[in-house]
Amino acid sequence: MNKNRLLSPIVTLERKKPTRLERFLSRVMLFGEDCIKVPLFRCQHCGECILSHTAFICSQRCPKRSRNGPCGGTGENGTCEVYPERKCIWYLIYRRAKLLNRISLLKRTESIHNWNLEKTSAWLNVFRKRIEPPVIFLRKRDRD
Amino acid sequence: MKLREKIESGRFVVTAELGPPKSCNGSVIRKKTAHFRKGISAVNITDNQTAIVRLSSIASAKIVLEEGLEPIIQLTCRDRNRIAIQSDLLGAAALDIENVLCLTGDYQTFGNHPEAKPVFDLDSVQLIATARMMSDGFFLSGEKMKTAPDFFIGGGANPFADPLDFRVLRLAKKIRAGAQFIQTQPVFDLDRFNEWMHGVRELGLHEQTTILAGVMPVKSVKALLYMKADVPGMRIHEDYIRRMERAEEPKEEGVRIAVQIIQELRKIEGVKGIHLMPLLWESITPRILEESGLMERE
Repeated sequence: MNKNRLLSPIVTLERKKPTRLERFLSRVMLFGEDCIKVPLFRCQHCGECILSHTAFICSQRCPKRSRNGPCGGTGENGTCEVYPERKCIWYLIYRRAKLLNRISLLKRTESIHNWNLEKTSAWLNVFRKRIEPPVIFLRKRDRD
Repeated sequence: MKLREKIESGRFVVTAELGPPKSCNGSVIRKKTAHFRKGISAVNITDNQTAIVRLSSIASAKIVLEEGLEPIIQLTCRDRNRIAIQSDLLGAAALDIENVLCLTGDYQTFGNHPEAKPVFDLDSVQLIATARMMSDGFFLSGEKMKTAPDFFIGGGANPFADPLDFRVLRLAKKIRAGAQFIQTQPVFDLDRFNEWMHGVRELGLHEQTTILAGVMPVKSVKALLYMKADVPGMRIHEDYIRRMERAEEPKEEGVRIAVQIIQELRKIEGVKGIHLMPLLWESITPRILEESGLMERE
């Protein structure tokens, strides 16, 4: 239909009520994910993880929660316009992406955030095919 | 001739920026448009710039349209979620406003309501893609529209913010999302702008979109120093600050600098127009156009 896929194609509202076991499992999953992602990446629980596209720095730490790159306010030496004492998260992402040869992943147009996935486990969402799986290893020809 | 037709015919275009008032007095806009009657192809209407509450950009655009000028509405992601954005776009189309400049928007802490909730449901690339999708006749949900609007979609670019390579890459993203024209932040550092344009030409992006370079005439050295210190992502060459400091008549020097920058920009391959931002100094527009030789093209 449209070339720029902006919204995830999956129906976003749960039709079926989850059973108690399912709810329990998803909470356990979320806890496990938080234990790893919060200390390592300061995960913001968007549930639609694009960490692997952004050189393993969480882009959702950006005050404007941009998923497609920096706004026009990055100052000299990469300071954030909202919090000048911090570095622009996209500045850090770009620097590391260059180091890891993962610039090609930054060229993707990320789809609009599905707010129904907020505060759910991204791992579970991958498993349930609600979001794309992460790109952990990049083939040699895709690197640049 | 419409802006879209002018751009498509490859003519060198000039657009100008108009800030709506902080009141419901529409005659302020009517007055300001008087300076833009000659030589200007379209007038940008800012959308609550620097997060200060002002008359709505779509309403102001309607007034500009009534005055016989062509408006470009700016639309930011700061205050609207995807429902409001699509609704506003439909509203603009219904009022015969077809030029839309899609921006992320200044953060609210810069404005007069710093406590406001940041929305940023979409980012600027997604906003461009949304306008494109609506022009193709679909809502974001994939639902088909009965009558599709026909937007002429623009995006912003800041060649002066770091990192430079990412700025080019992001421009490519915006073009792929559907940006038909690009307006840049004001140029006060030609070296950096040239560097950026070099990257743009390397990827052939200047052929896929129309780049309008920003030019801002300033009245005093204070304005330059303020921008250097307080406007994020601005780069101002020392030469201009020194020239403005030394000038006996800073206003004259400001005009000279603006004209000089315009002439330099016109020489750069891939720059197909100028976007003039005479903030609080709209009356200087005709003189700058005259002196830089952009008036007689009409």
